[in-house]
Amino acid sequence: MLKIEGISASYGELKVLHDISQEVADGETVVTVGPNGAGKTTLLRVISGVLKPTSGAIYFDGQRLDGKEPYKIVDMGIAIVPEGGRLFPGLTIYDNLKAGSYTKRSRRKFKQSLDEIFSSFPILKERQNQIAGSLSGGERQMLAIARTLMSRPKLVMLDEVSSGLAPKIVTDLFELVKAIKSQGYSILMVEQNVKKALELADHAYLMESGRLQLHGTKEDFIQSPHIKKAYLGI
Amino acid sequence: MVLLNAIVSGILFGGSLALLAYGLNLCFGVVQVIHFFYGQCVMLGLYIIYSATVLWHIPLIVSCLIAVAAIIILNVVVQLAVVQPLLKAPMINQFLALASIMTILENSAMGIWGATYKGVPISLPVLTIGEIYIRTSNLIAFVGCLIVVGLLYLFLNKTYTGLAIRATAQDKEMASLTGMNPRIVYVITLALVGALAGVVAAFFVPIYPVHPHFGGPFTVMAFVIVILGGMGNLAGGFLAAFIIGVVSMVVSFLTIPEGGPIAVYLIFLVVIVFRPQGLLGVRERTG
Repeated sequence: MLKIEGISASYGELKVLHDISQEVADGETVVTVGPNGAGKTTLLRVISGVLKPTSGAIYFDGQRLDGKEPYKIVDMGIAIVPEGGRLFPGLTIYDNLKAGSYTKRSRRKFKQSLDEIFSSFPILKERQNQIAGSLSGGERQMLAIARTLMSRPKLVMLDEVSSGLAPKIVTDLFELVKAIKSQGYSILMVEQNVKKALELADHAYLMESGRLQLHGTKEDFIQSPHIKKAYLGI
Repeated sequence: MVLLNAIVSGILFGGSLALLAYGLNLCFGVVQVIHFFYGQCVMLGLYIIYSATVLWHIPLIVSCLIAVAAIIILNVVVQLAVVQPLLKAPMINQFLALASIMTILENSAMGIWGATYKGVPISLPVLTIGEIYIRTSNLIAFVGCLIVVGLLYLFLNKTYTGLAIRATAQDKEMASLTGMNPRIVYVITLALVGALAGVVAAFFVPIYPVHPHFGGPFTVMAFVIVILGGMGNLAGGFLAAFIIGVVSMVVSFLTIPEGGPIAVYLIFLVVIVFRPQGLLGVRERTG
């Protein structure tokens, strides 16, 4: 479904991604783990079209997407939950959800999507007229995920969905991701919480200093001595 | 009674100022450039209406529509040809570019229409309520501007395009990640902003004769209101427009005609020094 071939990218003079190749198959959950500053977020920024790669190609359902503008990539069916959720803080919860269904493709199904979201997240329905800035950290992430689902994506990208949140909320959010996975969405996740992320993964990649160091199944990763030592603390 | 009359005319004046400030605020909030020739758009609109009605004998309403359309086109062209290429340029470059458009517009008006006052001869009655005198033209402008502010509010809050404008104002990159095209949002915003200036011009026709430097004070006045209300704060700007309208009229009535502008700028200085976030503004955007 998503095929990344030899992507490199830079911020000005600073090269942050070196020849990255990754794949996400239909309905699969792929997790990229690695330390802070490894380039995981940058890779998602490249896929979503915010940052243009310096070389390489990205294909989605056989169509080339690198070089396309972000608003076209959303329309193709790839939606991102950025780090921290990045809601529109001054807009109401309802308007944030409506913004999620902005593309022509998803706009036609706005009512249906909204009903689905409201039945999965009753708290968003109750508080739909409050501004998003009034939500707590966990609720913001929940709304950010819901906003992404409003675009009726085929591939959901999650950037550090658990960062900076209390352990109880992190557990809830991973349960939510698990529920999304079971609905058949393809997921590309970037995480520092390696243990929890691997539980959901079909495939995983390890990224360090802008390079992919390891690729394998969940089991490969859990058994890898390097992963055990550096990321799982066993 | 003089005081009461001054307050009433200040409130009526505040309606037009609110519309102007709304436009300036929208432009700043969404595109993040300061629309430095906003009053000049009103000036140009008045000249177009004058030429169309007095020289070419086109009906007034049609002339007003022509003026609104012309100001929309002017703003869209400036957005595409000047603002868009300068979006990532230093603020001072944007400022100088838009200030040069202001100078070009004023000098063109001087060249085309000359330096003397031009106006469309319309005389509307004065209403008397007790001892309060209200010029019908001011009342029409007040009601008309409030209706347009209301329509704009509905447009921004009820349509997908309005949502794209508000979302882009909050977070341009995130807006594009939900499928909104910032270039198109900017063009639509400038078209709206131009339409507001054109509408103000139409309502000003029976109130003011026009001259080439007519626009300047309105640009600055709208700017003062936007700062008072808090940059990007539409409700704050709305309130500030009426404060400025009433203060300028009341002080002018009580002292000398020049007293009004002096009082307005004194308030402005006090606010910008002691409360730079505006009357209703918050010190920093959260989230």
